[in-house]
Amino acid sequence: MTAASLSEKLRKKECSAVEITRSVLEQIEKTEDKIGSFVTVCEEQALKKAEEVDRKIAAGEALSSLAGIPIGVKDNICTKDVLTTCSSKMLYNFVPPYDATVVSRLKQADAVIIGKCNMDEFAMGSSCETSYFKKTKNPWDPAYVPGGSSGGSAACVSAGEAVLSLGSDTGGSIRLPASYCGVVGLKPTYGSVSRYGLVAFASSLDQIGPLGRSVEDVANLYEVICGRDPMDATSAAREYGAFAQKINRSVKGLRIGIPKEYFGDGVEPEIKAAVLESVDRLVKEGAQTVSISLPSTDYALSAYYIISSAEASSNLARFDGVKYGYRAKDFTNLIDMYEKTRSEGFGDEVKRRIMLGTFVLSSGFYDAYYKRAKQMQQKIAQEYAEAFSQCDIILTPTSPSTAFRMGERTDDPLKMYAADICTVTVNIAGLPAISVPCATASNGLPVGMQMIGPKFSEQMLFDAAGCFENICGGFGVAPSVKA
Amino acid sequence: MNYEMTIGLEVHAELNTATKIYCSCKNAFGAEVNSNCCPICTGMPGTLPTLNEKVVEYAVKMGHALNCKINPVSKQDRKNYFYPDLPKAYQISQFDIPLCENGYLDVMVDEKGNTKRIGVTRIHIEEDAGKLLHDESFAGSLVDFNRCGVPLIEIVSEPDMHSSAEAKAYLETIKSILQYIDISDCKMQEGSIRCDINVSVCRPGEPMGTRCEMKNVNTFSGAVRAIEYEAKRQIEVLEAGGEIHQETRRWDDAKGQNFLLRSKEDSHDYRYFPEPDLLTIVIDEEKIQRLKEELPELPNKKLKRYMESYGLPHFDANLLTENPDKAAFFESCVEKENCKTKNISNWLLGDVSRILNEKNLVLADTSLTPEKLTDMIALIEKGTISVTAGKTVLEQIIFSDKTPEQVVEEKGLAQISDTGALSAIVKSILDANPKSIADYKGGKTNVIGFLIGQCMRQSKGQGNPAVLKDLIEKQIKEG
Amino acid sequence: MQIDIQHIAKLSRLSIEKEKVEKFQKEMENIVAMCEKLPPMDGDYTSVDPSNPMQLRQDEIRPSLKRDQLLQNAPQTQAGCVVVPKVVE
Repeated sequence: MTAASLSEKLRKKECSAVEITRSVLEQIEKTEDKIGSFVTVCEEQALKKAEEVDRKIAAGEALSSLAGIPIGVKDNICTKDVLTTCSSKMLYNFVPPYDATVVSRLKQADAVIIGKCNMDEFAMGSSCETSYFKKTKNPWDPAYVPGGSSGGSAACVSAGEAVLSLGSDTGGSIRLPASYCGVVGLKPTYGSVSRYGLVAFASSLDQIGPLGRSVEDVANLYEVICGRDPMDATSAAREYGAFAQKINRSVKGLRIGIPKEYFGDGVEPEIKAAVLESVDRLVKEGAQTVSISLPSTDYALSAYYIISSAEASSNLARFDGVKYGYRAKDFTNLIDMYEKTRSEGFGDEVKRRIMLGTFVLSSGFYDAYYKRAKQMQQKIAQEYAEAFSQCDIILTPTSPSTAFRMGERTDDPLKMYAADICTVTVNIAGLPAISVPCATASNGLPVGMQMIGPKFSEQMLFDAAGCFENICGGFGVAPSVKA
Repeated sequence: MNYEMTIGLEVHAELNTATKIYCSCKNAFGAEVNSNCCPICTGMPGTLPTLNEKVVEYAVKMGHALNCKINPVSKQDRKNYFYPDLPKAYQISQFDIPLCENGYLDVMVDEKGNTKRIGVTRIHIEEDAGKLLHDESFAGSLVDFNRCGVPLIEIVSEPDMHSSAEAKAYLETIKSILQYIDISDCKMQEGSIRCDINVSVCRPGEPMGTRCEMKNVNTFSGAVRAIEYEAKRQIEVLEAGGEIHQETRRWDDAKGQNFLLRSKEDSHDYRYFPEPDLLTIVIDEEKIQRLKEELPELPNKKLKRYMESYGLPHFDANLLTENPDKAAFFESCVEKENCKTKNISNWLLGDVSRILNEKNLVLADTSLTPEKLTDMIALIEKGTISVTAGKTVLEQIIFSDKTPEQVVEEKGLAQISDTGALSAIVKSILDANPKSIADYKGGKTNVIGFLIGQCMRQSKGQGNPAVLKDLIEKQIKEG
Repeated sequence: MQIDIQHIAKLSRLSIEKEKVEKFQKEMENIVAMCEKLPPMDGDYTSVDPSNPMQLRQDEIRPSLKRDQLLQNAPQTQAGCVVVPKVVE
């Protein structure tokens, strides 16, 4: 069931908000042991909110499109008085005394926050396997990863444990799990959604974004969370209109750029074929394709890891055991406390990234790494700008492969990083991109297709994705969760 | 001593804005621990900084006051290091593009009015850290985050000072300017102004020596002591054949010594990089100009003017220009042009200051106006009242709405200057004190003070002492 | 590129267990080698962008957090402050 259809039912009084929430909670009860989408399930608060919504409906109040809709929130987004862990031992007991701006907006829209979604520790990962608490499973096949770092956010929507969810995307962390779990995921334009309350990973790349089962649902959620926030100086000063109601499901005359670098050897043949076949279907509906080139794509992963790790090493320095979170039990002095706390509180991947970041910023290395990466960033953004003079949207696979098996890549960081090669340039350039399911692979797992637009072109992405959704007859096929 | 010392100073001043630099918490000293804090200034996860407009304005004003080039486009950077009083484990500061650069300050270096130009390299904005509290009895340290996020400007001078006296003069001038343009209250005891000192020594004519930095200098007189000690220490090392290595040292004023804090090898690697949570700071030309026009006449310029135009000595001029309210009051008095400027200065710096200090008040708290004060001084100059009576009048006019004339009338303070009336009193006193007359004639001329005192008593304090003196001397001479 | 793991770990206030040092060293070197694929770039870099100026905040006081809320997550508190191991200045 989509949020749109549930919202319709509520309006027609065919069911109550409490009933919706209860049924989702039941699904969680049935499914959580197998899938493990959540770090925290907010049963009490969710039912309370649902009751409040029912009262408002009874009083005849006009309600938003998200009223009474159960939504999962990634566990790196601060929720007041509710545990927020970033799936890390470092924040195992952290209860924020404040809401992230997006959470306030959800509450104002009367959405029901059903739980905090599991993730890769501090959003560093592509498989949801670095979580301190549990490994989320892919609802399509629990032997496989759901993708990361917003693995729980994608899985809960895919498994019916939530109707919509919020994730965060720094190098592909919404789009990758969306594609692995067969749901829709949007990484918004940098600056269109407030980062206040999002535990920072890479400040210049992070964005919070929606995941759902339909384009309309994702557009509705985006509408509620986007907008200037005076608490976030990097949030763009612009007005946003409605998105969901204005979706024009047509690609007539749309010029689709096909970048050759995203269809090369690094991408599995089956994925390439599925995506190109989807492009053909769009062409049949009136779109045109344009061959384009994004030559610096090869360097994107390097630039991404330098920039994101540098910023992360600084952003995660505050986790020092002094004023919140984990503190080591035994230590001899201050420095010992710092070292033990951080060594015991962080997992290996986080440590690797912190050290990489410290290294690239350290005395004597700044020019060779960080400065060079920032220059490459400007070049990549430039190449996109040039490409967009020839086409309206750019279409690529979301990932070089489908989901992979649990444990398959955990021993080789570089192999794990390779999952991001189709998604990182989008964060580097600050552009919006949406991932939609486009096929099922021979291994029975979903294949995702990515559409990238110029800054603030989310409406155009919803239009094109919406058209594709129509062609497919909807994305809403939830997999049967194996008993 | 055949060494020259070179000094550079880095002054940190807390700005007196209503809110902190990156959040809307109250910016105030002395509150109960951890009561002016929020998730942002305590570095909680997910929080973001937002830059206070007033901080930029105040920094630009100081830039104008120090003749700097204002950068209309600048940014902030992160300075990364771990310490319990730094919640984010980085300080947001400015690294390569500060708000103000390349300025200077003309500092008065002696009482004759000679000035020296000290270069100002830059002024930048940054946030203050919290406070660590220690106690002998307690095993750990306590962290108070109230001061986290208090706005600071850092003023960096060129190494243009060559004596501790010059350094002190520079510091005092900076302080008075900060107070004049009202961007900092500069209370050293509250830590709202602090300085780090760089000292090097070399033989005259040779290139500048290696400098050492000193931290924890908390008073201006302490700065003088610290500089003298450090110069001496470096000279001793060099004379013994050693080398000066770049170091950071901690000054201990109580012990009168400094101690090694960090050697160059141990120095922090701050890993500066541009702050990604804040965008570019852009100030338009119009605003930059407006802020310049809002500056009042600066204290160092005022000081020079008072010495030159009013002929006041350095000591007086310095005290009068100490704060803008006192100076403004003084200037209003002078403008009335009904009494001598030097007398205005004397009364303001003398009895008026004494009364204000006793009651811990400022001029604005009282009923004293330039008109009332100058009218009173004029009455004294005319001889209508004595100086002693003047003191009585002052008490009254400071604390009530009465005018000097009203008080003189009410209390009957008008002096008797009429020689006729006074002669009789003089005669009666002289008649009663033949021994004094004899002493006076015998050379003890200071006995006249006693005689004047007696006449004053007889006249109920209303005799004009100058007239009495003349009459006494005359009558004695005439036998 | 030879990475001085111990030095970097110290700067980051991390300590790597002896048994893991070699593995970390190798992994870090591989990752840095990947990063070194970046070619040298022409021109200079500045993060300053005057076409996108920052909106500044008005100097108006908003309520602070109550102290007990502020300290609710602190591992150790005393007398309204957070406690840390003794710091010698």
